[in-house]
Amino acid sequence: MIRMRTIEISVGAFVLAGILCLVFLAFRVSGVGVGSTSGTYTLLAKFDDVAGLRVRSKVSLAGVTIGRVAKIGVDSELGEAIVTMEINNDVKNLPIDTGARIQTEGFLGGRYVSLSPGGEEKTLQNGDTITNTQGAIGLESLIDQFIGKMGSK
Amino acid sequence: MLRYLRLLGQWALDWIGALGRATLVWFWSMAGVPQRDDLKLLVKQVYQIGVLSLIIIILSAFSIGAVLALQGYTQLARVGAEESVGLGVALVLLRELGPVVTGLLFAGRAGSAITAEIALMKATDQLSSMEMMGVDPLHRIAAPRLWAGMISMPLLTLIFNAVAIGGAALVGVDWLGVDQGGFWGGMQDGVEWWEDIGKGMIKTVLFAMVISWIAVFQGYDSTPTPEGMSIATTKTVVYSSVAVLALDFMLTLVMYGEFK
Amino acid sequence: MTDNLIEIEGLRFSRGDRIIFDGLDLAVPRGAITALMGPSGTGKTTLLRIIGGQIRPDSGRVVVNGHDVPSLSRGELFELRKDMGMLFQSSALFTDLSVFENVAFPLRVHTDLPDEMIRDLVLMKLNAVGLRGARDLMPSQLSGGMSRRVALARTIALDPKFIMYDEPFTGQDPIAMGVLVSLIRGLNESLAMTSLVVSHDIHETASIADQLYIISDGRVIGEGTPDMLRDHPSTMVRQFMLGSPDGPVPFHYPADNFLDDVLGDA
Repeated sequence: MIRMRTIEISVGAFVLAGILCLVFLAFRVSGVGVGSTSGTYTLLAKFDDVAGLRVRSKVSLAGVTIGRVAKIGVDSELGEAIVTMEINNDVKNLPIDTGARIQTEGFLGGRYVSLSPGGEEKTLQNGDTITNTQGAIGLESLIDQFIGKMGSK
Repeated sequence: MLRYLRLLGQWALDWIGALGRATLVWFWSMAGVPQRDDLKLLVKQVYQIGVLSLIIIILSAFSIGAVLALQGYTQLARVGAEESVGLGVALVLLRELGPVVTGLLFAGRAGSAITAEIALMKATDQLSSMEMMGVDPLHRIAAPRLWAGMISMPLLTLIFNAVAIGGAALVGVDWLGVDQGGFWGGMQDGVEWWEDIGKGMIKTVLFAMVISWIAVFQGYDSTPTPEGMSIATTKTVVYSSVAVLALDFMLTLVMYGEFK
Repeated sequence: MTDNLIEIEGLRFSRGDRIIFDGLDLAVPRGAITALMGPSGTGKTTLLRIIGGQIRPDSGRVVVNGHDVPSLSRGELFELRKDMGMLFQSSALFTDLSVFENVAFPLRVHTDLPDEMIRDLVLMKLNAVGLRGARDLMPSQLSGGMSRRVALARTIALDPKFIMYDEPFTGQDPIAMGVLVSLIRGLNESLAMTSLVVSHDIHETASIADQLYIISDGRVIGEGTPDMLRDHPSTMVRQFMLGSPDGPVPFHYPADNFLDDVLGDA
């Protein structure tokens, strides 16, 4: 017959193990806490094609993730997509002519927004819109272009 | 022909009756003022149900994580995307396999043990004698097991997920040579706190409630004979497993389905 | 006329299609040992459960110590059961608790007594049944007779005024039987209790019962002292008391004519 004390200790250890696993999952697996300690500010960008971009896709600058896509909406009058992005507060001084492109990760990977800073002195503030944008390049149009080039040889 | 219809109708009515009894069992177990002994009983059950299930959970988790990494690697290597194996394995585990496999294992090990124990107590008049002594068996036997199930299973799922991912890392990084930074970085980038871990945990809590409920009820409702006991334990495993899989399907649809 | 602890009038109870009790009347006088006997399957255990409030009869009066049992609320039943004890055929010890803990169980549940007092009480009860030295054993380590004695100790833990014994003598060796018989009688006298014994064993039961009821087909077919019953006008009662193989309860299960059956295949 197992004594009560042993039982209590093992139950405590069990619960502790569970909590540790939760912590492991939170930090090592889902990356909570990586760069999200500071707050965020909002930037908007308009694209003519956001195919494949999803909410929670990343926003990166020079290859470093600096934010996430919060919302994807549409401006039906102009036929454009409006992407709302949450950018980390540590990345504050983006020039007003910063460019935003939708790129693909690897060959088959997911879409993300890549920012390339421009040269102007004035910087983007909370709520500003990036105007220098280039939409997603679909695989089909790439192939079309390629075939087009091939054909013209 | 008519005879079969009548049997079917009777079976359906029996089933609905059982559901009604099961709801009453659940209700009366959950109601009730906590008493002095209750914490001790609960701890003892968490030990029986949770701690004693650890071995099978850990062993299964490790194997499944390793196998997922192996298979995933092979397929992803074909298109040069091996680094995504970390992300892929993590998502599959957190969203689906973790809750479901833990649920099935739990139903088989802990669920059947609960049913067998309660059925045995019923067959040997222990439940009756408790009642005659003025003790409510639902409060003393059923409730601790229900709560212990709901506490233990989510913990077991967390442990399952962590060990499985660890197993996948061992195979992927140490054995197959996937770049460590890519493995973990890709995972951290793609796995989300609420979307993947959170929703997976919701699934597990629901599974835990259902499995514990079925296990306790089947024991309580069993025929107090040896055959009755084995029928009850079989029912627990079968019903729990089917319930977990069906619930998983519905929850996945609701949580992740994108309805146009 | 002695005061009756239990009075049952016109009890009717069916399970599914089977009628179990069809107008049963009986009275259990205080301070005495009353026995319920009858052929197997007449629902004697069910009757005990009805008295204890576990099962509700379809109709009839069941009055225990002045309370109408079927109409009691959960709380009132709880109070009533503190004064009642039941010894089950299978002894129903809690398999995960030691002998000591089993006997202590009702004390822990119903009282707030400190541990030292509980310890003393448990040891006293165990001593009354002669098993004080077995206090740390587990139920799986006990023989059948010992289990029953521990169960008896548990039943008297709260000093109930009334104990029901469900087939206490079944399957016991002669010594164990003798121990139980003397315990039942001894306890009834020393603790001024009322006892209701359900049993098949004519000899043992008749030796301690002050009064017997014979139940068959859902009613009482004979009541009185053992001697009265041996000379009872009903042949069924006499068959039961004497244990004759054939009589109103037939030897042969209903079947066709013997010769026809055997020669029919030729």
